[in-house]
Amino acid sequence: MNKLLECKNLSKYFGPVRALDNVTLTIGSGRIVGLLGPNASGKSTFMKICNDLLTPSSGEIRIAGFEPGVESKKIVSYLPERNYLNDWMKVSDIISFFDDFYADFNKEKAYDMLNKLNIQAEDRLKTLSKGTKEKVQLILVMSRDAQLYLLDEPIGGVDPAARDYILETIIRNYNENATVIISTHLISDIEKVLDDVIFIKEGQIVLHKTVDEIREETGKSVDSLFREVFRC
Amino acid sequence: MLAKLMKYEFKSTARLFIPLYAVLLVFALLNRFLNPFRTFEAAENFSLQVFVRGAGMAIYFFLILAVFVTTLVLIIQRFYKNLLGDEGYLMFTLPVKTWQHIANKLLTSIIWCILSALVVAVSLFVLTASSELIRLLPYIIEGIKNTFGIAGFFVLPALALSQLASGILMIYNAMALGQLFQKHRLLASFGMYCVLYLIQQMIYVICMLLLANTAFMTLIRSASLTPLGMNLFLGSLAIGGLIIAAAHFALVNYVLNTKLNLE
Amino acid sequence: MGWELKTDRPIYAQLIEQIELRICAGIYPPGSRIPSVRDLAQEASVNPNTMQRALAKLEEDGLLYSHRTSGRFVTEDTEMIRKTRNKLAKEQVQVFLKKMKDLGFEYGEILSIISDLAEEMME
Repeated sequence: MNKLLECKNLSKYFGPVRALDNVTLTIGSGRIVGLLGPNASGKSTFMKICNDLLTPSSGEIRIAGFEPGVESKKIVSYLPERNYLNDWMKVSDIISFFDDFYADFNKEKAYDMLNKLNIQAEDRLKTLSKGTKEKVQLILVMSRDAQLYLLDEPIGGVDPAARDYILETIIRNYNENATVIISTHLISDIEKVLDDVIFIKEGQIVLHKTVDEIREETGKSVDSLFREVFRC
Repeated sequence: MLAKLMKYEFKSTARLFIPLYAVLLVFALLNRFLNPFRTFEAAENFSLQVFVRGAGMAIYFFLILAVFVTTLVLIIQRFYKNLLGDEGYLMFTLPVKTWQHIANKLLTSIIWCILSALVVAVSLFVLTASSELIRLLPYIIEGIKNTFGIAGFFVLPALALSQLASGILMIYNAMALGQLFQKHRLLASFGMYCVLYLIQQMIYVICMLLLANTAFMTLIRSASLTPLGMNLFLGSLAIGGLIIAAAHFALVNYVLNTKLNLE
Repeated sequence: MGWELKTDRPIYAQLIEQIELRICAGIYPPGSRIPSVRDLAQEASVNPNTMQRALAKLEEDGLLYSHRTSGRFVTEDTEMIRKTRNKLAKEQVQVFLKKMKDLGFEYGEILSIISDLAEEMME
């Protein structure tokens, strides 16, 4: 297995709180990976570190051999769990913005996806509903031909129909050279789409297996195993 | 990449500045035709005319104030909201180095400051029948030449720029340090500004004390009222400002690179 | 025919069964081209890698064969399809028989229930 993402003893402390605790992890190319854990288990912290939005307290992280920085940002496409759009822009403006800054951005693909979702390119972002903004962000992120997609809670705030659309988009845009990491706590919805699952609990990795391994070994779905591991 | 960043920075700020500038210039022109100064002289008692003209002037001065306040607010807001707020998630994941983000904000802020000052100056020309002020211009230039010499035309702008840059960067620095706090970040930023200001004043005082009895100060003092003395003094202030600006820049860059902590 | 996937068994094994079912039922007739991995994965809303794995297994078994450029096809070997069909039938019957045994039925009783029902359905 090649090493697209590699962490060694990665830790992040916020004062006395260990948001990530000694995480060692290797993820190869061509995988769809679920990063699963309850709220505040370290999922977002992990994603932020991958994107250079946080600096680890100790340990190492490499993405395609690069430390998080300009080189890694060229190949990582990140969907944060919040709305980062400039309100004054039109949809077409933000598309040009992405096109300007990311060499791997595919403008046609973005417009194609906008059309399919009936989002007008000339609409101002300010006038869009929260759900539509989330869709625009997903379109921006998925229209890049990145090597690593980091999607933080992409299905958290949307209705089931939009959820299906997001999963469909992920499957449709899947390619063998890229890896998608999806963090969520809504497991049953995405279980079928995943290759691997990583359970994260209080900043530590407690399990890293393929979905079929879990089903074969335990005779349980990932969802029910999750409920067992994280029983309150 | 810096050029691209600046392109978008101008786009997102110009939509506020340009209309404001336009309104200011229009009001200057309006007031000129209402010609308030002469009316005040001529009017013998209160009339609606006087009131309208007075109000016109009040609005004009309010607009000048608005230009300066907007400039200051945007310097703060573009950094705080675009880099340290939710939009930071977009900006800091662009394949761009952190120093380019800071340089982008700094350069656009400086340019808007200069433009704001220029537009206010132009509006004054428009307001007061321009020919009179234009006739004054050679005297002002002559005055600068007599006091500072030709070098003054370089030293004075350099001083202004270095002070502007260090002033803006100090604001950035205060916000960069303020975001290290988990809560009450705006308040923390304000507190940090006070702390930075105090430190900066202390450094100035220490530098003054250290330089007090050196040959350099003796030279300045001996030539104090000549152009040479003036330029040496102001020039060293400009260089001091640049050093402080560079220090602020380095600190902002360090904090945002290693201690970025978006909410 | 929709894709029915249960949550407690490996997905790829279920995909194999479902495709076998489609071949036996004639939805994918002998010699016909089947949709691409991506389309199939999207249709079943499963991971393309898992779908790929299932198809590779079916190829290994000989039920599918792939053509370097033009895609994947169902075998033209009708005998093999017939065997697969029998295999699937046996599996269904086994499951059924086990359930009936659990309910306490004897072999003879089961047979008579089947023939009675079959007659009713014929009428």
